[in-house]
Amino acid sequence: MSSRKPPAALREASPTPSLKSKSKRARLHSSPEQLSLVPTASVDLPSTRLPVIALRQLWLGAYLPLLSLEALVQSSEPAAVFEEQHGIRKILLGNAAAHAAGISPGLSINAALALIPTVQLEERNLAREARVLKDLAEWSEEFTAFTSIEAPSLLLLEIAGSQKLFGGIKPLRKRIVHGFKSQGFHVAIAIAPTPLAATWLAKAGRKVCIRDARNLVGKLGPLPISCLDWPDKVCQSLRGMGVNSIGEALRLPRQGFAKRFGASRLLEFDRATGCMPDPRVNYRGPEHFVADYDLNEEESDAALILNICQKLLAQLEHFLLTRQLAVQHVEFIFFHLQEPATHLSLGCVQADRVAQHWFDLLEIKFDCMNLSAPIIAIQLCGGHGQRFDAETSALPFNREKPQRYNTSMAHLAERLSARIGEEAVHGVMMVAEHRPQYAWRYREAFSDVPKCASTSFYSRSFDTSGIDTPELLADIRRTNSLVLRRPLWMLQAPEPLLTDDNRPCYQGVLLLLDGPERLETGWWDSEGIARDYFVAKTPQGVNLWIYRDRGKNRNASWYLHGMFG
Amino acid sequence: MSDALENLLKNPRIWRGQAQAKGAGWEGLASGYPKLDQHLPGGGWPQHALTEIFLDHYGTGELQLLMPALAGLSQPREDREAGWITWIAPPFDPYPPALSQWGVNLARILIVRPKQPQDVLWAAEQALSSGNCAAVLLWSGELDDTASRRLQLAAETGQSWAIAFRSLQAISQPSAAALRIRVTAGETGTDLGILKSRGGRPAVVRDYAG
Repeated sequence: MSSRKPPAALREASPTPSLKSKSKRARLHSSPEQLSLVPTASVDLPSTRLPVIALRQLWLGAYLPLLSLEALVQSSEPAAVFEEQHGIRKILLGNAAAHAAGISPGLSINAALALIPTVQLEERNLAREARVLKDLAEWSEEFTAFTSIEAPSLLLLEIAGSQKLFGGIKPLRKRIVHGFKSQGFHVAIAIAPTPLAATWLAKAGRKVCIRDARNLVGKLGPLPISCLDWPDKVCQSLRGMGVNSIGEALRLPRQGFAKRFGASRLLEFDRATGCMPDPRVNYRGPEHFVADYDLNEEESDAALILNICQKLLAQLEHFLLTRQLAVQHVEFIFFHLQEPATHLSLGCVQADRVAQHWFDLLEIKFDCMNLSAPIIAIQLCGGHGQRFDAETSALPFNREKPQRYNTSMAHLAERLSARIGEEAVHGVMMVAEHRPQYAWRYREAFSDVPKCASTSFYSRSFDTSGIDTPELLADIRRTNSLVLRRPLWMLQAPEPLLTDDNRPCYQGVLLLLDGPERLETGWWDSEGIARDYFVAKTPQGVNLWIYRDRGKNRNASWYLHGMFG
Repeated sequence: MSDALENLLKNPRIWRGQAQAKGAGWEGLASGYPKLDQHLPGGGWPQHALTEIFLDHYGTGELQLLMPALAGLSQPREDREAGWITWIAPPFDPYPPALSQWGVNLARILIVRPKQPQDVLWAAEQALSSGNCAAVLLWSGELDDTASRRLQLAAETGQSWAIAFRSLQAISQPSAAALRIRVTAGETGTDLGILKSRGGRPAVVRDYAG
């Protein structure tokens, strides 16, 4: 990077003047006819040139000329980035407002401050630039499966496979340009069949789209050799030979060029013109989502903090969306200046990625949480990503009735458990077991229901879908009387009953209506029972389910176990 | 008739006889008990409103009263999916084998046990207004006029049936419920007293299941 002069960077940012200056320079050194026509065949190739190999790739080079500024400052007020060179702090780049006021690259910061005292000056931060470029590479995964980062300020997107999805190159290019713009980045985009050609064209600010590799030589020819990013020494020596453009360099004899400048530079030309394959490394984003937000000063305003959390969640949603993933847990960490950090974890019944759902849960939990101190930074960690199974849903015009009971019911359960605790929200299921207290158990509200064995003698269920008619109801009641009666209310633990002259009492002496139903054993575990169950009625008319324990002690004791409700 | 009179007659507090009131009532959900249905304005339970059930002792027959309707709601039908039935703060454990005997779809049952009393109403409101629950049963000691109005509103928004179980002592409190029923044990079976039914009139049903 240090080899490139800062002024060049700014010149390249505004394509129109640079084009002019370059073409002027090009005209001095090469014949004008060649430039104006740019026909492939007219370029005089050395006879030893390699044939163009069949390329199926199409590379989009996105060059960010103002990255070092835009990574740090995004404002319309005058702002500039400076860099220390040989102990002197000089302006590297300024934004449009600064430029208009006369702050040009290479100016010392004192001079810049003299021009505009209020100018915002930031020291160049290479780590930050690299991070922004990575973020942009992650974002660009929206458009392609293959993104390559060309440090320090260029992204390469392989778009041959994405054309159809986005409706052709033009709309895709438009979307990418718009995307960069909306994130506050100036971008120069060029499309070519080889990655190097796309890189050079983008850096030169040529808004071209080359599809055929045979046209590459003609289009690359007029570019100045400064696009190549070669060391100054090499460029100087090329210029000394009267070679100022890539086309002129290409016309040099291959053997001599390789001997003089190294085989690797010749390989670069071969790769750029599509004569040699040019494999690239695909950038893979991190597997786990971590994002943080630093506040300028300590804050305890809940609305502001929630607003920031919402932004972080939106980032998470995008992260998951591009990977076709969903998470079941996320964790917010609120950092304080003095106190240890506060952790807030959110859980979902089903893996989810919609930011709004997470935000709803966060709001509920945040309300219940007491922050010990104001917050200085917020971090959001997304848990382990799971494959997201998209659901088929009805078309919008068929939405009169809520169709997706299950998904939105899960959200209800999440909201409830976020406030009152996960253990307080559950479903129920039956277990094939003859002992009444083990014939059922709680289950997680939305786990897959293990099908309970239908051989269980309780589980004869009736189809009540057409229950409207009295005949059907009578039928149900008849069938009901055949199976064993079970109470609708069950006590969590059997309650001992007082006895009066060996008769059980509960709000008065009980009248036994039905029974006994003997339920015994459980020798396979330690919870064996020996009970005679009765249906009993209290003087108030409540039907109870009671049992007499026929355990080891012969003194039979009575217990209340349920109510018929 | 003048407009003023028309408006006056639209006021639900004015009762103009059973025939007129039928239209103003609700589309009933068959309770499964013909004796009860004939006293309810729409021929059944009010579907998107609050029903209050008053009782002295748990187990008087209050659950059996609801079971056929809940069973119907929890099963899938041609025109709708199986509905969820949410139980909020039940005093005991609803016993799944018995529910299954009544035909209730156990996969559609959600039990919520809030630790704080004020969370009962919050959870009920959430469940009702979410539009996912076919019925929400709640047991809450404190249900004042405002709370009942909020539940009634939530039931309307979420198209859900709210059922609040309350003690007999609260019977004199005003309420926005569409239907208020007293459940008492009679000599032969469980008796019902319809205290208030929007668009209907008070009635007593002796031994409703008989």
